[in-house]
Amino acid sequence: MTKAGFWKADWFLGVAVVIFIVLFNRLSDLIPSLERKAYDLGVVATSRAPSDKIAVIAIDEQSLANLGRWPWSRDVLAKMTDNLTAAKAKVIAYTVLFSEPQVDAGYTYVTKLLEMAGMGAPADPAAAVDPSTPAAAAPNTPAAAANTPAAPPPPGQLAQFVTLLKEAEQALNTDRRLADSFARAGNVVPMTLFELGQPRGRPDKPLPEYVTKNNLSKVGKGADDGMLPTRKIDYPIEIIGKAAAALGHLNATPDVDGGTRTEPLVLGYFDQVYPSLSMMVAARSLNLGVGDIKVEPGEKVSLGRLNIVTDPATRMYTYFYKDRDGRPAFPVDSFYDVITGKIPVSKYQDKIVLIGPTAAGLGSATVTPVSPSMPPVLVLAHSVSSILSEHFFVAPPWGYWAELLVFLLIAAYLIALLPRLKAGTGAIVTAALFALLLIAHFVLMTSAAMWLQLMLPLVLLVIGHVLLITKRFVLTEAGKVKSDADSAESNRMLGLAFQGQGQLDMAWDKFRKVPMDDGLMDNLYNLALDFERKRQFNKAENVFRYMAGYNPKFRDLEARLNRAMAMSETVILGGGSSHPGGSMSLGAGAEKPMLGRYQVEKELGKGAMGVVYQGKDPKIGRVVAIKTMALSQEFEADELTEVKERFFREAETAGRLSHPNIVTIYDAGEEHDLCYIAMELLKGKDLVPYTKPDNLLPVDKVVSIIARVADALGYAHKQNIVHRDIKPANIMYEPESDSPKVTDFGIARITDSSKTKTGMVLGTPSYMSPEQLSGKKVDGRSDLFSLAVSLYLLLCGSLPFAGDSMAQLMFKIANEPPTDILSVRPDLPPALVAFLDKAMAKDADQRYQTGDEFAAALRAAFGAGGGGATAAGDGGSR
Amino acid sequence: MDLSQALEIASHTDPGMVRSHNEDSIASIAEKGLVVLADGMGGYNAGEVASGMATTVLTTELRQLLEDHAPHEVDPQSGQKAAQKMLQEQVAKTNTSIYQAAQSQSQYAGMGTTLVVALFYDNKMMVAHIGDSRLYRMRGDEFSQVTKDHSLLQEQIDAGMLTKEQAKHSSNKNLVTRALGIDPAVEAEIHEYDTRPGDIYLLCSDGLSDMVSDEDIGMALQTMGANLNLAAQQLVQMANDNGGRDNVSVILIKILREYPAGHGLASKIFGWFR
Repeated sequence: MTKAGFWKADWFLGVAVVIFIVLFNRLSDLIPSLERKAYDLGVVATSRAPSDKIAVIAIDEQSLANLGRWPWSRDVLAKMTDNLTAAKAKVIAYTVLFSEPQVDAGYTYVTKLLEMAGMGAPADPAAAVDPSTPAAAAPNTPAAAANTPAAPPPPGQLAQFVTLLKEAEQALNTDRRLADSFARAGNVVPMTLFELGQPRGRPDKPLPEYVTKNNLSKVGKGADDGMLPTRKIDYPIEIIGKAAAALGHLNATPDVDGGTRTEPLVLGYFDQVYPSLSMMVAARSLNLGVGDIKVEPGEKVSLGRLNIVTDPATRMYTYFYKDRDGRPAFPVDSFYDVITGKIPVSKYQDKIVLIGPTAAGLGSATVTPVSPSMPPVLVLAHSVSSILSEHFFVAPPWGYWAELLVFLLIAAYLIALLPRLKAGTGAIVTAALFALLLIAHFVLMTSAAMWLQLMLPLVLLVIGHVLLITKRFVLTEAGKVKSDADSAESNRMLGLAFQGQGQLDMAWDKFRKVPMDDGLMDNLYNLALDFERKRQFNKAENVFRYMAGYNPKFRDLEARLNRAMAMSETVILGGGSSHPGGSMSLGAGAEKPMLGRYQVEKELGKGAMGVVYQGKDPKIGRVVAIKTMALSQEFEADELTEVKERFFREAETAGRLSHPNIVTIYDAGEEHDLCYIAMELLKGKDLVPYTKPDNLLPVDKVVSIIARVADALGYAHKQNIVHRDIKPANIMYEPESDSPKVTDFGIARITDSSKTKTGMVLGTPSYMSPEQLSGKKVDGRSDLFSLAVSLYLLLCGSLPFAGDSMAQLMFKIANEPPTDILSVRPDLPPALVAFLDKAMAKDADQRYQTGDEFAAALRAAFGAGGGGATAAGDGGSR
Repeated sequence: MDLSQALEIASHTDPGMVRSHNEDSIASIAEKGLVVLADGMGGYNAGEVASGMATTVLTTELRQLLEDHAPHEVDPQSGQKAAQKMLQEQVAKTNTSIYQAAQSQSQYAGMGTTLVVALFYDNKMMVAHIGDSRLYRMRGDEFSQVTKDHSLLQEQIDAGMLTKEQAKHSSNKNLVTRALGIDPAVEAEIHEYDTRPGDIYLLCSDGLSDMVSDEDIGMALQTMGANLNLAAQQLVQMANDNGGRDNVSVILIKILREYPAGHGLASKIFGWFR
């Protein structure tokens, strides 16, 4: 709910990432490297056919092995040039720099000899100025050297000698031979080499005319910063340079990673602009000259109608052709094979022939997108083919803005949109954008030969997404911990609430969901005690075990756990013995469970609706019987309240009764879902055992007991309390003191209404009066009917009404006279039989109306029977 | 019906400057329009338990009930609105829970809590309260107390024994005449009120109302009503600035728009597009 600082907001993180990426891009080469790598991949992915007009003659290892080590005598090159000229090659380019004259060791002497002969060789300034002509190494002309100063030669011999010298001079002046060859060919383009760098001041000396004729005149504005500046140039010696058709530089401009990807089409030299070798070769192959080349610095170079869009430094993004089927992109022949005729020269007709060293150690190989080591002559081949076939890549002038726009869009996505998307949607959108950028990059390169630098937005996208998702994850994790804590607290509260409502099992469920801590231990301890009080020792044991898992030393947990274990076993045994009186021994040392204010000492038996315990009121030391009723199990929840109310009403009514022959009610109460009545504890048992035919009591005893019960009922009826369930089981009898007591006053009213126990109640309607069976309102006379049935049973050991089925039994009670008791026990006095007939009359008005009347009549009837009956009764019982 | 678009709810609770425990407890379910604030009392940390039980039991039970019953429906037998019946029954149930827990567990003996609950529905709210936690209303410029404390002080005022002026300086401010969990049964005072868009309702514990005068509270709401979160924090801050002798809790509810109960499909669709 509270407003977090803006630095925690998602959008702020987005902005931070964008700024970080921009700075990182400025300070580090990582992202430009990525751009270059992507460019290389794009180049490799592009597929174009190389120009078939280009052929390469390589000065390779094979040539060196056969023609001697480099540099060769230039007449070898001259011979090659002548051969190619004869084969009508279109253009011949040499990636060899002829910046020094090639002077044979003997040549100096030959020229000197010619001078002395007055027929000096054509002035060769290069030879003349060369001071380093080795004097010592001249073994091939020792005689000439020795003879020249010695004696003037004879004239006839002299002419012959001069001719020889001229021949020697011709043969040894390889530069001239090459120049002549170039001149004859008229289409040879040798290379120059610039030293890149910002010039300071002016050039050392003006360039010779044969160099400056290559200066481009059609240059647009912005020449200074639109192309790379140079401060020094190496160019061919005059004799060769003049013979060349044009000159072009062969400067490579590798990127910071050493890879060559571009070709500087033009270079600036002070105020002049010179084209590259590739440019000149391409121009010559199109029969164009310097004048046909137009330069818009930083934008494009036009060669006739051919437009080459360049980068800001007027460099072309060269397309490097891949090898095809294992064969190199351009046919590369060994110089030796060509010059020896192994490869026919005619192959080079109308071809652009590029001649240059490829052997390892000659010249510096460069790194290109398709090859880690490519000799300059092959780079030249790729460049020329790129120009002629327009296969070069283009970084369009609007590319910068497009890149910026893409970057801003990605930034906007990260700042504004991604924080609002769900994690899954965000991931999908990001992945889609990622794929889109990559696809755009490669499709543009391969199909449109266009290069946009999209790696920066790509990096921004990936890093931004990862950071935002990480942040979100971290935050939600924190939130989860918080909500876990919240729900733990509410579970604890709900547990307490359920425990308060007496729903201990629900409370236990809730408490188990709360992470353990010391506070919870108190709650659990109390819950376990509650379970113990309700004599659910196995559940108490569970709770104690759970607690012991956290801290077994908690208070008296160990002792409690042991006791609960012992108790839970005992209860199972006690529960197994279902017959009444099956008592249960309480574990020694176990705390007496409490029921209300009574300590429960032992189980006395099972009643109609629950267990009967022997209990003790610790305050006054009175031992009581506690009859429990699990009302909540007997009744549906909706009528439970009503039943409880009635229970207490009945208990209250019964509690008002005070009679020597009625069991005294002390107390009634409710403990959780258990209702109980505490009553006088009797030593005796009920009369059920004396209803067996072989265990009957003497008749006088029976009469005495029943008469006293009738007295008690009379007392109760006067208070308008009807027992409703008089039967031998509800009359307790203590033989020692000879005192019968009626028990369970009022309880029948509750059990009657139990839905679940209906079947059971109806299972023994043998004692019910006709009016009770028919559901009419009953009064004391109904009790007296039931008492008469009990008397009948106690006298003869069988019931007056018996039926095979419930319906038959009920019919008999309602309609038929009782079985003649004399047929079962013939020795009974007739007065007693007459008494029973009246007491069991169908119409309540025909019976004895009150308990007192019943008792008096009974005593009188027996008295009328006299001692004979007593003797007979004695006889019967024996 | 989801009310989270119609109601803006902000809340803040703080132990105050003097006490180490926060015995207040607050809870809200925006989509059901239910806010609960309870101020517990009792030894050790029993107060926390009482107030915690009150908010937890009420929100849990009412959330369940509100899933199944519409609060604006009228029970044909009693003529009561479902909201009133729910609050009545659940407050009683909560009372029993707390009472029994206090009875059966010695460490919680004597714990209890005040309570103020507001349930928003159908452009109305049903407010139930017990004790001296209050609900105020800010409507336009008028700031007024909606609930009437169940406290000795209030009874004395009602009986004419004290004037409001005297009451401010009375020493027995903290004696409440009704609380949840003290007696086996307690009756919550429940009333229904109309709400209007723009209303701001404030539920607070006595930590705020004892420390800050009604005028100041009203003023703060007046000025900061646009930003409920800020206002909630500011109110707590004001109580702490004045001494913060008790735990301070506030819940602010602003009615953003009308939220009539959907009586048919059309209004539901209409509500969806709003």
